[in-house]
Amino acid sequence: MPKVEAVRTWGRLDPRRLLTPGTAAREDARLGRLLVLPALAFTAVLVVYPLVVGVQTSLHANVPTLGQPSDFVGLENYANALGDRNVINAIVETLKYVVAALVLEVGLGLGLAVLLHRAFRGRGLVLAILILPWALPSVVSGVLWRRVFDPDSGLLNSALLHLGVIEKPVIWMANDTWATLFISLVHVWGVLPLITLVFLAGMQAIPDDIYAASAVDGASGWRQFRHITLPLLRPSLAVALSVGSIEAINIFDEIFVINGTALNTRSVVMEIYDMTFVNSQFAEGIALAILVAVATAVLAIGYILVLRRRTV
Amino acid sequence: MRRPRLNSGVRALAVALLCVWSLGPLAVGFVTSISSQREVGETPTRWIPSHPTLEAYEGLLGGSGGAETASDAAAEAGAFGRGMLNSVIVTVVSTAAVLIVAVLAGYGFGRLRFRGSQGLLAIVLATMVVPLFTLVVALFKLMAELDLIDTIPGLVAVYVSTQAPLAIWLFYNYCRELPPEPEEAALIDGCTRLSAFGRVALPQMRSGIAALTAITMLGVWGQFMIPLLLTSSENTKPVTVVITEFIGKYSTNYPLLTAAGMLVLIPPAIVALALNRHIRGMLSAG
Repeated sequence: MPKVEAVRTWGRLDPRRLLTPGTAAREDARLGRLLVLPALAFTAVLVVYPLVVGVQTSLHANVPTLGQPSDFVGLENYANALGDRNVINAIVETLKYVVAALVLEVGLGLGLAVLLHRAFRGRGLVLAILILPWALPSVVSGVLWRRVFDPDSGLLNSALLHLGVIEKPVIWMANDTWATLFISLVHVWGVLPLITLVFLAGMQAIPDDIYAASAVDGASGWRQFRHITLPLLRPSLAVALSVGSIEAINIFDEIFVINGTALNTRSVVMEIYDMTFVNSQFAEGIALAILVAVATAVLAIGYILVLRRRTV
Repeated sequence: MRRPRLNSGVRALAVALLCVWSLGPLAVGFVTSISSQREVGETPTRWIPSHPTLEAYEGLLGGSGGAETASDAAAEAGAFGRGMLNSVIVTVVSTAAVLIVAVLAGYGFGRLRFRGSQGLLAIVLATMVVPLFTLVVALFKLMAELDLIDTIPGLVAVYVSTQAPLAIWLFYNYCRELPPEPEEAALIDGCTRLSAFGRVALPQMRSGIAALTAITMLGVWGQFMIPLLLTSSENTKPVTVVITEFIGKYSTNYPLLTAAGMLVLIPPAIVALALNRHIRGMLSAG
């Protein structure tokens, strides 16, 4: 049986197997194990082991100094974390970021992919410009956008004052709605390029004949987009939603730079940061981090299951 | 008849809007960085400086300055320069390490059959959703034992473990999509798998390796939360952390802040523009 599998690997015969059956497969297997060893070592020492310690920590009473023995308390830290008003507020705030980011990223990403998937003059340059915001540190983009939203000397206030839209400067970050919206916008600025590339790759994988055939049947423009492009983009949509959600759930840098750890814009990761590093509530912080990880994984798997089903 | 077409006027407008959206904040940053503190601080602010000046840059890069912007900047020249240097060192070392780990593992998982490979790959990839905070307590303990807290090797180790899974995933997909024929030809000619990998597959993967280098460099250069937690001395803090400290000290000295931002943007902008075709190819394959 392993032989059949080996043949399937590349969809064609490995020539060596015809000459020396068995030996070649063993050589490959040995080399394979050797090559993945460094990755496994890093994962084991720096992720799996710390994760096990983290889960243990979350199940024990908090101690002020790391590493001291303490009582097993079961899920108490998880319950405490979810019973904390600030945590609930941070979760709600993060969900707002996620929804705002996904709506903007999927809407604009699809539009940009339609715009950019066909050849036109200067397309290469436009694509290079497109990915630039993704390539830049989010801390720096936060600094640039601070200049826009600054209440006293910001560009937005200055423009709106000049146009007579507002009469006195608005403290944008003190207004919950504006603050959430603007921070989402800054976040989207950095993530949209990635989402656009995902849709672009999906569109480029759709064969031309399908459009040609539908054109013969009289379909064009919007109808082709609606009935051909969109349904065939479902796998890309699953990827885009997963990536967009993971990025938005973990939002931290932009908020930290623009509004610090202020409560009205605090995301769940900032809340964990605050619990763990400002208040030394390690056990509760880790419990919350684990909950966030589980929620993220469930969400990502959910998108893939729902959107994969109707394809192929 | 082919794919849905856009009216060319609509396309030109949309492309222009896209460029404004992508480049606008950078232009704002640049214009602010060559303004004087006084003009930026006026209410309403001046968008375009009446007397463009490079004093914020001169200050940050170690010159002395008389004006307010420049003297703040000059006072931080040491911290800023050191931060840039730390970022460069950490980025170069981490990228090299991630490349080695990811190219070997991506090829091993993507091209070679061995028992348990799919399960092990799944474990490595699953670590992508593990948030740093679940690991941080143990990492601190581990590093304390090894004397690695607040050191560059400690930071590099954490970067490798956080960046490698994505890099492995990207390179795994890349390896699976690469045509196997050249390698098979080498095997027929009597190469061992190892020498086929070294002599045929690796050179064939140049574009993928370039893309992986770029993506990893960009990822490491922009890191902020991890060094915020793991570094505290001037000799280890990367420039992203240094900039946020400037915000705390000079919250409205925008010429200083944006000049620092512009300098930090230069390396990733060069990498992104120079390798953008490779980067797009690899991200689209994933």
